[in-house]
Amino acid sequence: MRSAPLSSTESSWRAEAMDLHILDHRLRVTSISKTGLENYTHPLIKLIFLRNRTRCKFFSLTETPENYTVVLDEEGFKELQPSEHLQVEGSTWLPLNVISNGNASSSSQAVGVTKIAKSVIAPLAEQHVSVFMLSTYQTDFILVRETDLSVVIHTLQEEFNIYREVKGESVPVQGQNAQNGLRKNGREASHATVHPVLIPENQFCVMSLDPDTLPAIATTLIDVLFYSNNTPKEDTSQAQDLECIKFFSFSLIDGYISLVMDTEAQRQFPADLLFTSSSGELWRMVRIGGQPLGFDECGIVAQISQPLADSDISAYYISTFSFDHALVPEEDIVSVTEMLKDQRKEAAR
Amino acid sequence: MMSGSKPDILWSPHHVDRYVICDSELSLYRIGAVGSSETKAGTLPLSEETAATLLAINSDTPYMKCVAWYPKHEPECLLAVGQANGRVVLTSLGQSHNSKCKELVGKEFVPKHARQCNTLAWNPVDSNWLAAGLDKHRADFSVLIWDINSKFSPEASVPAEKIRLSSGDTDSGLVVTKPLYELGQNDACLSLCWLPRDHQKLLLAGMHRNLAIFDLRNTSQKTFVNTKAIQGVTVDPHFQDRVASFFEGQVAIWDLRKFEKPVFTLTEQPKPLTKVAWCPTRMGLLATLTRDSNIIRLYDMQHTPTPIGDETEPTIIERSVQPCSESIISSFAWHPSAQNRMVVVSPNRVMTDFTVFERISLAWSSTTSLMWACGRHLYECSEEANAADRDIATKMRQRAQSRYGHDTVQVWRNHVLAGGDDPQLKSLWYTLHFMKQYTEDTEQRQQGNKQSLIYSGIKNIVKSSSGTTEIRRCWTGSDKQTDVPRYHSEERTLALQLCGWISRGPDIDVEPFLKSLEQEGEWERAAAVALFNLDIRRAIQILNKGASAEKGDLNLNVVAMALSGYTDEKNSLWREMCSSLRLQLKKPYLCVMFAFLTSEPGAYDGVLYESSVAVRDRVAFACMFLSDTQLPRYIDKLTSEMKEAGNLEGILLTGLTKDGVDLMESYVDRTGDVQTASFCMLKGSPGEVVKDPRVQCWIENYRNLLDAWRFWHKRAEFDIHRSKLDPSSKPLAQVFVSCNFCGKSISYSCSAMPHQGRGFSQYGVSGSPTKSKVTSCPGCRKPLPRCALCLMNMGTPVSSCPGKSDEKVDLTRDKKLAQFNNWFTWCHNCRHGGHAGHMLSWFRDHSECPVSACTCKCMQLDTTGNLVPSDSV
Repeated sequence: MRSAPLSSTESSWRAEAMDLHILDHRLRVTSISKTGLENYTHPLIKLIFLRNRTRCKFFSLTETPENYTVVLDEEGFKELQPSEHLQVEGSTWLPLNVISNGNASSSSQAVGVTKIAKSVIAPLAEQHVSVFMLSTYQTDFILVRETDLSVVIHTLQEEFNIYREVKGESVPVQGQNAQNGLRKNGREASHATVHPVLIPENQFCVMSLDPDTLPAIATTLIDVLFYSNNTPKEDTSQAQDLECIKFFSFSLIDGYISLVMDTEAQRQFPADLLFTSSSGELWRMVRIGGQPLGFDECGIVAQISQPLADSDISAYYISTFSFDHALVPEEDIVSVTEMLKDQRKEAAR
Repeated sequence: MMSGSKPDILWSPHHVDRYVICDSELSLYRIGAVGSSETKAGTLPLSEETAATLLAINSDTPYMKCVAWYPKHEPECLLAVGQANGRVVLTSLGQSHNSKCKELVGKEFVPKHARQCNTLAWNPVDSNWLAAGLDKHRADFSVLIWDINSKFSPEASVPAEKIRLSSGDTDSGLVVTKPLYELGQNDACLSLCWLPRDHQKLLLAGMHRNLAIFDLRNTSQKTFVNTKAIQGVTVDPHFQDRVASFFEGQVAIWDLRKFEKPVFTLTEQPKPLTKVAWCPTRMGLLATLTRDSNIIRLYDMQHTPTPIGDETEPTIIERSVQPCSESIISSFAWHPSAQNRMVVVSPNRVMTDFTVFERISLAWSSTTSLMWACGRHLYECSEEANAADRDIATKMRQRAQSRYGHDTVQVWRNHVLAGGDDPQLKSLWYTLHFMKQYTEDTEQRQQGNKQSLIYSGIKNIVKSSSGTTEIRRCWTGSDKQTDVPRYHSEERTLALQLCGWISRGPDIDVEPFLKSLEQEGEWERAAAVALFNLDIRRAIQILNKGASAEKGDLNLNVVAMALSGYTDEKNSLWREMCSSLRLQLKKPYLCVMFAFLTSEPGAYDGVLYESSVAVRDRVAFACMFLSDTQLPRYIDKLTSEMKEAGNLEGILLTGLTKDGVDLMESYVDRTGDVQTASFCMLKGSPGEVVKDPRVQCWIENYRNLLDAWRFWHKRAEFDIHRSKLDPSSKPLAQVFVSCNFCGKSISYSCSAMPHQGRGFSQYGVSGSPTKSKVTSCPGCRKPLPRCALCLMNMGTPVSSCPGKSDEKVDLTRDKKLAQFNNWFTWCHNCRHGGHAGHMLSWFRDHSECPVSACTCKCMQLDTTGNLVPSDSV
C-alpha cells in the first residue's frame, strides 16, 4: 500500500560547502529576428501567459536592439516553427546552478556572477568551456553545452558537490577520473580577445512578479514586448554614442517570473504589482562585444566577472544571441567604467 | 498556504467559538448553537445544531498569501498576514479598543527584495518571533525571522538615501526592515514550522528540495534531508518528533529522531494535496485534502508497540469523510479543542461544521464479554443473563471449572456438575450411567456380546428382541382381571433397566424407582409409573402423599379421587368424562395416566406421543405395552424425531452409534455444546463412533476452547481423560532430548529399552544400569549439559531455597525428578537453557538469556511465555 520513500536521501552535518546542481532542463538557444516577430507572437504569448497549456518549464525572452533571444527547453522549443526568421544554436545547453549551503552571515555581500566568478567562470574559461549566462531575479543560471558536461564536472568537482537533478530528485554525481576531460575540450586555445564594451545611459531594474498577477499586467507586457515602437535601426548604425539601448528581458523558469527593464519601461507597469528590492536599487548596463560574439568563444564572461569579483561588485549577467550584457549597481558604474578602460588599454598594449 | 482567492480557515487559538475565513479579506465568525439567544437573523447555518455569526471583516491587507494567528492570549485576535510582495503585516479583527493591539496593528515587516511570502509561523514560546518563508531571490535569504516588538531601524550598511520606502512609512515607526535572523539562501521556503520540543529550532522546507532543521543558536549548521516532500510541514501536536510534509499527491511522515528518510509515505493521491493537518484532539490522526475534492481523507496512525523487529511499519487505517455532500472543499481546520471537530469551507464560502465520527474498534474476550472503544470512551459489555439464558460458552466454561464430564464412577453425577438444571443433560448422563452399569454387569456375567448391544441403544436392543411373552395381569391389590396385555422379554427388561424403571439384578420390581421418585418429589411421575405397573392403589397412595407433602399440591387429592373411581366399564360416565377432561390437565403425567386408563388396549397414542413426558418413561411404557410389531415402529419413529430435534434424551434410543452421532450433531448445531458432545462420545470408545470425523472435530474444538480460555490444566486433564478412554488419541512423543555426544535420546523410555548386544559391563561399569547417574547420558555415560543458572549438570534436582529445605526431605528422588521444576528446558533460538524452575524464576525478572554475553530475549520469543493460565490445578 505504501510506495518507496520519496527521495534518495542523505543527511549530514556540514560546514559551508558549495553545491553545483545540474538542473533537469535541456535548453535550446534561439533568436527571432525583429522583422519575423509577428510569426512567433502566438507561441510566445502561449509560453508566457498560458502556463497550464504548455509543459515548458524554462522560458526566457530577451529583447535587444538586434533581435529577440529566446532560451527555452525542448518542450517549449516544439512550439517554435522553423523559419527564416528563427536562428537556432545547434547545441543542447544544460543550466547549472550554484548553491552555497549558506552560512547565514556570508562575508561577501556581492552576489550573482561575481560570487561565482572565481569558482566557476574562471576554471571553465581555462578549460575552454563556452558558457551562456542567464541571471534572473531569483538566481543565476550558467548554461553549458551538454557535450561539455564531462569537462565541466571534471573541472568543478574539486570545488563543488555536484548533483544532477533527475525528475525532481538530486542525485550526487560521482567525479569521473577520465583524463580526457582535462584536454582542452577539443578546441584550440585561442588567445582571449578583449571585446569592446558599450555602456548605455539607461537605468535598469530587475524585478519579479507574483505569477498569479501576471494576467493583470498582460496587456502592458504584450505592449512592451511586441509593440515597442522603436523601429529597429540598421545593425551597422549601432554607434558608440548611442545613449540608450532597447533591452527588455522576461523569464518564466520553474514558475518564477523575472523581469529586467529600464526605468522608462517600468513606468508603464502598475507600481504595486512588480517586486523589487526595498532599497529600489538601479543598475547600469555594460554590453560586451562590437561584433556578434557567437557561441564558441570562451572567457568572455570571465573577462568581465573577474575584475568585478576583485572589487566585490555585484552583477547580473545576461547573454543573448549576439552580445553579452552585464548589469552593475548604478553607484559602481564609474569604477567599473574605469576598470574596463584600463583593461582595454592593457590589451591594446 | 492560500492560493489565489480560495478561502482558508483559521481557528482562534483561545476562543473556542471563533474562527477567521481568509480569502481576499479576513472575516471573523463566531460559532454557536442554532437555537441560542445569540443567534440573530444574519447567522449562517453550519450544521443541524450550529450556526455562525459574522463579527467583523478586515479588508486592509490585499494580496494575502498566508495568515497566522498570534498564539498567546494577549493581544487576542492579532493576525500576521503574509503578502504577495513578501511584506508581513500585523492586523486585527474586531479589537478596536484594545490598546495592546494598537501598537502592533499596521506594523509591516519588509524584506530587502520583494517576493511572495509563502508561509508564516509564530514561535510558540517567544511569541514575538514571527518566521516568514519567502520565495527565492538570488541575493537574499528566504526565511526571515522578525521580532514584532522591534522598532524601525535602518540597516547600518545601507545608506539612508537608498531606502526608498513609500513616504510616511519611516516616520510612523511601523516599518521594520531588519530581521532578527536570516536563514537559507538561493531557494524558496515553501513551508516552515517551529519545533515544539525546542523553540529555538525551526524546520524549513523548500531549500533545494530539502527539509532542514536550523538551530537559531548556531545558524551556520543545519540538519537536512533531501526530499521532494517539502510542502506543508506540520508537527504532530501529540508526538513532537513526528512531522508530516507533502509533495503533489503524496504525504511523507518523518521522525525527527531518525531524519534520514521518511518513516513511511501514505498512498499517493491522483490529485495534488492542498492541506495536511494533524488532529489536535486525537492522537495520530492526520487529515488530508486534495484539490477539487469533496472528501477529506483521514489516516489513523496506530501506535502499536512491536517487541520484535524495529523496522515494522506502523499500522495505518485510512478512511475518508465527506463533510458536505455535494460541494468541493476549499479548506478545512480542526477545532483546537472539541474532539474530532472541524469546519470546512467551500470555494464559494459555504461553511460546514462537521465532527468526524470516531472509528469503533471492538474486541471479544475469550469469555463472553465484549469491549468497544469509541473516541475517548471504552465500553464493556458483559453477559448478565440468568443462569438458564446464559450463553453456552459461559455454561461450558463454568462446567469445565466444576470438572463436568470427569466423574467416571458416578456417571449420572455429571449432570449435577453441569448445574443440574438441564433435563436433557440429566437424561443423557443417567442413560450413560445405566449403560455403563449394565455393561459392567454383563461383563461380570461374561456375556461379552451384550456389551456392545447396551451402548447401541434401545432401538437396537428391541430389534434383537425374541421370545416375547404376553401376560395379562390383575390390578395389584384387586382381583379384577385387566384386558391390558403386557409383554416381557429379556431385551425388554434390559430396556426397562436402561430407562431406569427397574434396577439392576434379577428383581424386576419398580418399587425402588418409585421410592426414589417420591424422594425427589416427582409425585405425578411416580403415580404414573405405579399406574403403568397396574398398581392403582400405589398410585393413589403416592398422590395422597404428594398432596400432604410440604408445598404439596392439594389438587393431587382430587386426582386421586378421580383415579379411585376407575372402572373398566366401556360406556361409563367416568370413562367419558375422564377422556375429555384429561386434556385440560396441565400436568403431563396426570394427563397420560387418564389417557392410559381410558384408551383401548394396544392403542396408547395418548401416552406415547405426549411429548412432555420424558422419553425414558414413554419408551419404558412402550416396552411394556406395545407388541413386537408396534414397538420397533414406535421406537424408530421416536428416534428420528429425537434426531431431528437434537434431543439428548434420544441417546437412550440411539446409544453411542452412528445414529447417536447424528443426534448429537443436531444437538451441537442447536446449542454449540461441544463439551457435552465430546464427553458423551468418548464414552463410546473403543467403538467406531469416536473415529467419526464429527466427533474428532468436537473434541478438537473443545480443546481449543479450553486453550483459548487459558484453561491449560483443564485441557491437560481432558487429554488424560481422553487418552484413558481412547488410547489411540495418546500423542506420540514428539520431542526427544538427545545427548550432545552420542546423539541418542536420553529419555528414560529409551534407556529402558534393551541395548543390543552391548551391556554397560562392556564399558567396565559396575553396578546395575538403573543405578547409573541420571546426570549422564544413559547411552554414552557422558555428562548432560549444565543448567545455565545453577551450573549443575541436568538431571540434578533443583537445589531448593533454604526456606524450603524441609520439603526436599519429604520427597523421594524419583518424585523430585518428575517435578516440573527439574525438567530440561531450553531456548530454541540461542539453545541455552537449564532447569525449568530456574529458568522460570530467571525470566520473571529478566528479559535476556541468563548466559552471559548472550543477548537473546528468549522469553519474548515465546508468545505464550507471558500468559498465565486462568485455571488453577
